[in-house]
Amino acid sequence: MDDTIFWSRLQFAFTISYHYLFPQLTMGLAWIIVYFKWRHLRSGDERFGNAARFWAKIFGLNFAVGVVTGIPMEFQFGTNWAGFSKFSGNVIGQTLAMEGMFAFFLESAMIGAMVWGEKRLGPRSHFIATVGVALGSWISGFFILTTNAFMQHPAGYSVAADGSLRLGSVSEFLLNPWGMVMFAHNQCAALVTGSFVVAAVGAMYALRGRHAEYASIFLKTGTLVGLICSFLVAFPTGDRQAKMVARYQPVALAGMEGHFHSGNYVELNFIGQPNVKERRLDNPIYMPGALSMLAFGYRSAYVPGLDAFPEDQWPTNIDLLYYAFHVMAGLGTLFILLMGLANIQRWRGRLERSRRLLWVLMLAFPFPFIATTAGWMTAELGRQPWLIFGIFRTNQGVSDVVSGGNVLFTLIGFTGLYFVLGVLYLFLIGREIAHGPPEVSHG
Amino acid sequence: MVEIWYAIVSFMLLMFVVLEGFDIGAGMLQSVVGTTQAEKRTVIAAIGPLWSWHEVWLVALGGTLMMAFPAFLADWFAGFYLALFLLLWTLILRGVSIEVSGHIADPMWRTAWHFCFVASNVLLAILIGAALGNVVRGVPIGADGKFALSFFTNFSPRGNVGILDWYTLSVAVFFLATFAAHGANGLAHRTDGPVHDRSLRLARHLWRIVLALLLVVTAETCVVRGELFAGMLHQPFGVLGLLSVAGGLVAVFAGLRGGRGSLALVGSSVFIGGLMIAGAAGVFPIMLHSTLAPEFSKSAYQMAAAGHGLAIGLVWWPLALILAGGYFAFIYRHYKGKVKLSEDTQIPY
Repeated sequence: MDDTIFWSRLQFAFTISYHYLFPQLTMGLAWIIVYFKWRHLRSGDERFGNAARFWAKIFGLNFAVGVVTGIPMEFQFGTNWAGFSKFSGNVIGQTLAMEGMFAFFLESAMIGAMVWGEKRLGPRSHFIATVGVALGSWISGFFILTTNAFMQHPAGYSVAADGSLRLGSVSEFLLNPWGMVMFAHNQCAALVTGSFVVAAVGAMYALRGRHAEYASIFLKTGTLVGLICSFLVAFPTGDRQAKMVARYQPVALAGMEGHFHSGNYVELNFIGQPNVKERRLDNPIYMPGALSMLAFGYRSAYVPGLDAFPEDQWPTNIDLLYYAFHVMAGLGTLFILLMGLANIQRWRGRLERSRRLLWVLMLAFPFPFIATTAGWMTAELGRQPWLIFGIFRTNQGVSDVVSGGNVLFTLIGFTGLYFVLGVLYLFLIGREIAHGPPEVSHG
Repeated sequence: MVEIWYAIVSFMLLMFVVLEGFDIGAGMLQSVVGTTQAEKRTVIAAIGPLWSWHEVWLVALGGTLMMAFPAFLADWFAGFYLALFLLLWTLILRGVSIEVSGHIADPMWRTAWHFCFVASNVLLAILIGAALGNVVRGVPIGADGKFALSFFTNFSPRGNVGILDWYTLSVAVFFLATFAAHGANGLAHRTDGPVHDRSLRLARHLWRIVLALLLVVTAETCVVRGELFAGMLHQPFGVLGLLSVAGGLVAVFAGLRGGRGSLALVGSSVFIGGLMIAGAAGVFPIMLHSTLAPEFSKSAYQMAAAGHGLAIGLVWWPLALILAGGYFAFIYRHYKGKVKLSEDTQIPY
């Protein structure tokens, strides 16, 4: 029984972390492709048409891996988390069904036309199909984040006599304030991922002296979107998210910060290693009063530490939670600095010649993926030991008819399959990028 | 209310099996109807732009089951744990082989992915067929209301059953043939040239096999769950399903004889749809039939979502379906007619 919980958690964590590497690029890149196609449609400038075609190929591969790795996520609600499905299906079934009906139908009808059908559809219909895919991916994001928001901060439900949940108010459930903030934060982060990837390819072309026209389009679009969205991820969306955690999940905030002892004027730690046994942070470098300020808006604010809560309500992996939060926040800050610098150079007309900066931009593309993954780890580890915060524990949610051995079997299967998928994906994407967009003839 | 949602989830399963049945069947036949690389690409091009639209019905069905019948989703998915993951992995392999095979115009690359493509489609047909067989035959729910199926026990469809027994294996073989025949109809309709000719010739043979297997499986179903036929005849949907099966078959044979590809394809879709309707009507209201003792069976009424969620779902679900119909019309307008290899594949280099 305990094995089932452990392996099921590991399998879900692994498959969701892997899966989400793809949709975040899908959701970010989709609107950048829409922008290229729109420029092409308006001006007839073939460079933008080719740019859209080039990214659509990468997008198609990325989308396909996102779809095939996404289907197991939905199925695991039933296969591995049957207890959770029975307990809360009356509520979260709504958003999961809506996601399928409103988002997946739109995406799946349009993606084939977008990737395969430019010649069949003609420019106008093809543009509509591209917008449809972008819209579908964001609607899907909305419904799945609303589902997650219910697990983080349940709203719009009631408890029936048999102990399971019933849908209360649909509007409270769908317009959960937690979901709104998380959606804004997450979608901006997806745009950061998309823009970093576009900028990195532009930087590589500029450094190699190839595809000069595309290098400047990619760098311009990538760094501008990158700067705006990196900023939006931190403020206001990240800030609002932190205040939401402080208000509704104070124990998670204490875990994220390695904040063991309640008090006023609480410091914000930049670096340090949590030592749960000794109830302290080793080697801390901190800013006094900053956590109180961040969480509640004034420096003297009281912030409860882990000692204010019974230990059976503490996040189950405080060390990992602490690092996940700090990796996310640290990288997010660096993104603003990097994109700020890139934009200053671009305004001065020097970005294409700033070779050192181009090197950094090129090598920076994995970090938004890392930051986003760390951000989700913060949200999900902070929620532990609850599956639905405050009302349903994770170990109550697992399927009791499935043995640990069965789950380990499928986990090993996923590891092998996803490894092959990853190698294949990197090989094909690398090949597309090395080949580059077609050259435009000037005549 | 529960009846409406039972009809809705049955409809979604029907759409998945009919639409995906074409992809699976056409995919299985790729190496038979296509000998040159260009002909094999034609088969992929007939599926390529549409497969995600077909597969999405399964995903949407999963979400809708979670909303309408959460207890069924929980019991069924956990009970069929390993088989479901096998299905998922096969779907992954199939989807990947469609998407990546066109990326590199290299014979070795194409050969490898075309092999994966054909193999995963064969396996999908068997898995889906066996799953449908399990729905009809039932599962070993005990007094505690729980069950977990092994892949196989003693291959008997009674008592402590496994996923595979002689009955579910027969159903799997039947669907293997049916999907292949349906796919051949679809390819004959969607392509021209040698692929069209071979598909048409193959379809004529395959449908004779389907007819023979249908008689076998019907006889077996009489033995395993004979009471289902009485249930079908007593309700309009059951009768509609049986009539669709018969009418679909007539249309298929008429279409194939007269060389009218569209009639044959409509016929095979109606035939498969009729099987699904008849099956869904026959088992209703029991969603989980116990092979151990009838009193352990669970009905749709026991497993449906409680509260006003179902009523709310009835507000937005039809709206979403109308929207989906709109997207479908938008796409199909551009994809009607024969596959053109020059237009329907990604351009490799």
